[in-house]
Amino acid sequence: MAANPMKIRASNKDGVTEVKVLISHEMETGQRKDASGAIVPAWFITELTAKHNDRLVLGAEFGTAVSKNPYLAFRFKGGAKGDKIVVSWKDSKGETRTDEAAIA
Amino acid sequence: MFRFSKTILVLALFSASTATVAVDNYKGIGRQATPAEVKAWDIDVRPDFKGLPKGSGSVDRGQELFEEKCASCHGTFGESNEVFTPLVGGTTKDDMKTGRVKGLSSGELPQRTTFTKVATISTVFDYIQRAMPWTAPKSLKPDEVYAILAYMLNLSEMVPADFVLSDKNIADVQKMLPNRLGMTTDHGMWPGASAAKGGIGNGGKPDTSNKACMKNCKSEVQIGSTLPDYARTAHGELYDQNRSFGPVRGTRTLGAAAAAPAAAAVSPAMELATKNGCMACHGVNNKIVGPGYNEVQARYKDQPDAEVRLVAKVKAGGQGVWGSVPMPPNAHLKDEDIKTLVQWIMSGAK
Repeated sequence: MAANPMKIRASNKDGVTEVKVLISHEMETGQRKDASGAIVPAWFITELTAKHNDRLVLGAEFGTAVSKNPYLAFRFKGGAKGDKIVVSWKDSKGETRTDEAAIA
Repeated sequence: MFRFSKTILVLALFSASTATVAVDNYKGIGRQATPAEVKAWDIDVRPDFKGLPKGSGSVDRGQELFEEKCASCHGTFGESNEVFTPLVGGTTKDDMKTGRVKGLSSGELPQRTTFTKVATISTVFDYIQRAMPWTAPKSLKPDEVYAILAYMLNLSEMVPADFVLSDKNIADVQKMLPNRLGMTTDHGMWPGASAAKGGIGNGGKPDTSNKACMKNCKSEVQIGSTLPDYARTAHGELYDQNRSFGPVRGTRTLGAAAAAPAAAAVSPAMELATKNGCMACHGVNNKIVGPGYNEVQARYKDQPDAEVRLVAKVKAGGQGVWGSVPMPPNAHLKDEDIKTLVQWIMSGAK
């Protein structure tokens, strides 16, 4: 697994679970040049999924427009205290990272 | 010099005898601060941790407190750039080793954060204890400040999730602080005596020097350019475009007030709003962080149940009606105070 762990917080209120994720990733667009003028190769997250237990609640395709170290927040219905939220991403180098948190 | 030292002697005598006797030069003016008052004011925490209260707090407890009291403005992970600059981010493990944040000098940081800049952890402690949360400063107990600080240290990946910060180990944290060696004192802005005289600055010597004019000097300074009258209104009302708090205000450029700024009496409701921190986020005629009172009034003026609903909103806080920046709950306010404020807003916040 690559990179630093994602930070995930999930909380349930009135049957709606709100999930907040802070992802640690360079998200290089491939358009930037370094000090010597060479292009910094593109390196960004392409796919991201979030699962509640085994149910897919969010699937996303990311691109170069997403910032470095992106922050993501979403809500879904259902979910109970203690349930598992699993977030995973795959980037353009084929690296993946999966992290999980329990709903509070 | 003799008179001066005599005054000091008199002062010393008086403070030794009784606390309420004023200095004879200023009869009937003021009184000595009581020891309890001095104790209440004396809350600063210094870089050598003088003044640091005893206590401890865990990362877990800090997370609860942060979610409750801080996250509405700073974001759950201290990452939010919406209201203030982010608290954490931009620091690396290497920075913790070297003591200088590389991103600051290399220019690769998109955004400076508190932890990329701060050189003394005591400053962060002092600031949270003194000024946070914005709506209720000084309301946090020492243990809560330790907990919140522990959580922020965890967010910036300096300490593990099971860390407990206390007055015993805060000095160890200082040794890991990413920008601990990033502070310079050898410049004129640093207060106190110069290094030669026991201080750590340069004694206030400016970076540039100006020679005093000794001959052929101009006798009178003439201002070379002024804003012509017809240009004063070119950008509308300047007063509304400047912050409504802080030392600098925009000048009135439109309307009757432009000619003679009226010294309007402050209404009791305005005092109430100022005292309870409402004015930090809401302007009377302008949006600051939250909506201006004129906007609130405009939106709710045709709704008969607006007062009841707004009272409930002020009490419980809310989010979404005016954008994503949430309003913190104000359960500590008295119900009748909230009612007064809401009625005042709905009647035009005059």
